[in-house]
Amino acid sequence: MYNEFFDREKLKYCYQCGKCSSGCDINRIDVSFQPHRLLHLISIGAADNLMEDAGLWKCTTCFTCSERCPQGIKVTEILWIARTIAVKAGHIPELLITQKDILLRTGRLIPMDNKKRGKAGLTAIQEESSVVARIFEIVEKEK
Amino acid sequence: MRYAFYLGCATPVKALKYEISTRNLAKILGIELVDIPEFSCCGFPVKSMDSFAALLMAARNLAIAEEKGMDIIGVCTGCMAILSEAKEYLEDEKLRDKVNEKLKAIGAKEYTGRVKVKHFARFLYEDYRLDRIRDKIVTPLASLEFGIHYGCHYMKPTHAHGHFDDPSNPFTIDGLINITGAKTINYPNKNLCCGLTIMGTAEDISFRLAAEKLEYLSSRGVDAMVVACPSCCIAYENNQKLVGKRVGKEFNLPVLYFTQVIGLAMGLSEKDLGFEFNRIKADKITEKFK
Repeated sequence: MYNEFFDREKLKYCYQCGKCSSGCDINRIDVSFQPHRLLHLISIGAADNLMEDAGLWKCTTCFTCSERCPQGIKVTEILWIARTIAVKAGHIPELLITQKDILLRTGRLIPMDNKKRGKAGLTAIQEESSVVARIFEIVEKEK
Repeated sequence: MRYAFYLGCATPVKALKYEISTRNLAKILGIELVDIPEFSCCGFPVKSMDSFAALLMAARNLAIAEEKGMDIIGVCTGCMAILSEAKEYLEDEKLRDKVNEKLKAIGAKEYTGRVKVKHFARFLYEDYRLDRIRDKIVTPLASLEFGIHYGCHYMKPTHAHGHFDDPSNPFTIDGLINITGAKTINYPNKNLCCGLTIMGTAEDISFRLAAEKLEYLSSRGVDAMVVACPSCCIAYENNQKLVGKRVGKEFNLPVLYFTQVIGLAMGLSEKDLGFEFNRIKADKITEKFK
């Protein structure tokens, strides 16, 4: 399903200038995180090497790399897609398992706390609890 | 002025001061924010799991507002980025048809592309406009100085947000705060990410990112950091002690929402602006402008 979002043609325009990595604040703190390396591996069809790479989950999705890419490549978007591929291959961070579970049950990332809202003088909000579950059901049916 | 109010997941549980101050500010500005119970999560947290499912969630929310004939105003930068991105993707007719087919299958409305999506700060800057805000200022905040933290998803990706602000030199929220009479500083790490999105997967990097900005703004002696997103506020306010501990520092920097600052200048009470929920007390500010 990720193919819709994956502009493979555009990826060919990457000439490994490294601007994405040099302007990345995560790279500044942890040099092992290098967006340009990620693009390289994906473009040569070696994305499998990335699946267990903890680096995939170090990106904050701040979009600085995408904004600065001289070739107009949506670097952040590609990293995001790499994550979904990793997840599909079973490499799921603990956090995501918990989050998905909450989303499927409540339709929200953070379950509603209407008692707390009431105390603050805010009206109660009903959860659209089954929406996410229904969406996942229909998406997963296609696979 | 009637808008579908997109609260998102974090604000109504984790950022009550943001919700309270936004509702009360909108009220005195004559902006009607309509609650839409059918809205669900925007799709952002799902994007790392399944990008198509995330798109469906965003599209469903967009379609609900469309059907009600209202544009969307939101308060979370993450939600606004995901909904705006979805709008951009769904300009592709083939993809839109496919999405609509799925929406139909779950009994949701069709998305046609009419609805507009704006963060409340962007709406105030672009549509409500500064001069009308200035007219409503009763207590100029002349002696205050703030450091604004915009939040990456407030204006990025710029193509999805229609390039309304400059990611390397953002100005819209500065504009809103300056109109209250308060000063805002330009500072070296103004555009740094809060790091909250990786708190659960790379905590150390996340905390170090947050620490950099807290350290700098503390050293500059600003009265507070001003934010426009519940996630950024969690990173800088809720986590402030933890972050300080990680880098061996003790921070005491109040973090205010832009709605609290503007509301203060409009004479709204501390209670109407949710100041009781500020974890790092901003008494120095509120006492001055009661």
